[in-house]
Amino acid sequence: MILQIIRNMLPAGIEGVAIMARRLAVIALLFLYASVASARAQEPANFNIAIKEHHFEPAELDVPAGIKFTVTVKNLNDTAAEFESTVLNREKVVVGGASITVYLGPLTPGSYEFFNDFDPDARGHIVVK
Amino acid sequence: MRVGAGIAFCLVSLLLSYAPARADFEMHYPVIDYREAEIEHNGSTSFDNRSSMNNNQSYTIELGYGVTPWWEPELEFDLAAAPGQNWNYNATTFENTFQLTEQGEYWADLGFFAEYQHAASRLDADAINFGPLVQKEWNNALGSGLNTLHTLNLLVSKEVGRNRNDATPLAVSWQSRLELDPLFQPGVEYYGNFNNIAGPTTMSDPTHRIGPVIVGAYNMYQYGKLKYEAGYLVGLNNATERGTIRWRLEYEKSF
Repeated sequence: MILQIIRNMLPAGIEGVAIMARRLAVIALLFLYASVASARAQEPANFNIAIKEHHFEPAELDVPAGIKFTVTVKNLNDTAAEFESTVLNREKVVVGGASITVYLGPLTPGSYEFFNDFDPDARGHIVVK
Repeated sequence: MRVGAGIAFCLVSLLLSYAPARADFEMHYPVIDYREAEIEHNGSTSFDNRSSMNNNQSYTIELGYGVTPWWEPELEFDLAAAPGQNWNYNATTFENTFQLTEQGEYWADLGFFAEYQHAASRLDADAINFGPLVQKEWNNALGSGLNTLHTLNLLVSKEVGRNRNDATPLAVSWQSRLELDPLFQPGVEYYGNFNNIAGPTTMSDPTHRIGPVIVGAYNMYQYGKLKYEAGYLVGLNNATERGTIRWRLEYEKSF
């Protein structure tokens, strides 16, 4: 009924957009459903990092090659930090006292640098073996 | 994040029931830079031996800010000069990018884009452009050891208000690039504009452009980040200019 009221309020020429928006919404929901279903089937391994004063703890994470994994970054400072890795194409702000989850992989063996973009002296590496 | 983004997505889908095709060449990415302010310039100019399609220029300046981890609004100022005509202030546009999934969590990253374009001239109609943004990171593509990034935009348009027409154009943008180095990422991109997807019988003169692009970013850490994109697009049919150069320059800084 609410949808009918909204539809009646809209000029006739706009009907097409409403239909298109609904179709796009359905496609997006189907995509999300399929993605969530496949993600639940394989829960990724998790690794933890803390940002403490001007450094990461640990500064080096060992991760197996070829798997999807998450890194939980906990910011123990009062001020915001930004977990960033140009080589891994990730950039995510973590406010003071909070934590974030970064989804990564699968990666090939190598050393991948990350840093705090707000305090670039704080650096670390994900070492994929 | 997903709940908030989902609510915003639904609200925008309803509001979208209020949008023209803009033939600009700009790739929208579904990942939000939370708490980052940005100033961005996009430009394009066409080349063709037909005077009616030569030197078609478009320039924009955009100001944006990542208000939440899932929403970035931007204000865009559009300038254009049609072939053989003077510069005009074309439109003021309110853009919104919504990040719907965490980057890397699912098979692909999903976002939603919606903008309201207010025409500067009373003779032109306002417009809404909206649609999904999909990005797929494919690491070690085909066992080559190369990481690749693929982005797809599917934006539907609708004119609203005075002097509108009832066509429903669709703009398709595709970009695939090699993540060789943050400063230099070569790739290929495609831009297609279909004039009316709501009425296939009136679907005429779609335009298709494809060509190489380079994308890069230079991190100055606490002083911000500079990003660029530069591409050359070749027209694939008679309705499209022979060539178009497009570029993008962006400066962003976290606050």
